[in-house]
Amino acid sequence: MPDSLLLQARAGDRRAFAELVKAHQGSVFSIGLRMLNRRDAAEDLAQDVFLQLYRKLDSIESLQHLGFWLRRVAANLAIDWLRRVPYSATQPLDESHDVAAPEADDDPLMSRELVRLLGELAPHPRAVMLLRYQEDRDVAEIAAMLDMPVNTVKSHIKRSLTALRGQMIGARLIDCEDLP
Amino acid sequence: MNENFEDELRRRLRPVDAPEGFADRLMRALPAEAKPVVVALPVRRRTWAQQFGMPAALAASLLAAVLLGQYSAEQRDLRTEREGLEASRELMQALRLTSDKLDIAYEAVQSLEPADAEENRS
Repeated sequence: MPDSLLLQARAGDRRAFAELVKAHQGSVFSIGLRMLNRRDAAEDLAQDVFLQLYRKLDSIESLQHLGFWLRRVAANLAIDWLRRVPYSATQPLDESHDVAAPEADDDPLMSRELVRLLGELAPHPRAVMLLRYQEDRDVAEIAAMLDMPVNTVKSHIKRSLTALRGQMIGARLIDCEDLP
Repeated sequence: MNENFEDELRRRLRPVDAPEGFADRLMRALPAEAKPVVVALPVRRRTWAQQFGMPAALAASLLAAVLLGQYSAEQRDLRTEREGLEASRELMQALRLTSDKLDIAYEAVQSLEPADAEENRS
């Protein structure tokens, strides 16, 4: 995607802005969906993120900065939303099958369980895991996005991986010998 | 499941598509959230009274205060002068009365002196 698209959007070109939205909507929506476990809330969150982007386009310096900014705002908005809304309100489990990547659904039960277990993590570790494994961001970037020390990010990843693996084994979705 | 658990997580957590028509709905929501437009409000011409009324009133008040102060100072000086003259006149009157009484007393003393002298001689 060319940087000129960002410049056009900053100049008020709405079609250029729509292109930027289409390029990033999947990631932003997925962060909302897997953080909140609700499609309606995730769509609201994504809309909020892009409306904020529209108002702050002048402060976005490059497309790389745009990607960082969108993920940071989405993750932090989701954490704030989870603080305000009771935990149980975010658990409509009948919808959770929608939050797995469809092309990876060779084992739907496994995907559903993984997403459910991810949803049981506390908001901050959940955001760390999504930025690490969904968005493929490195530890330093995640620390900057969530305003936390790098060591805290590493600790969240380590503990969350251990917890997820343990629960997957407990649910007999993976075998002990499968573990690295 | 022989893959590394982290790779499995990456594979299963790939981003999903946003709902159909999400971008269109967002773009329709934008006008209400449009960047604020700065509109130049028409500048109303102010009348002479609006423009200079307050400074003129302040100047007039100041002038009135000065003149009033000056007038009252003059009145105070006149009163002091008048009281001084009155006091001086009263003092002169008192001195005059005293002098008259002294004259009478002196004459009385003078009229008594020859008789006393004759008595002493005899």
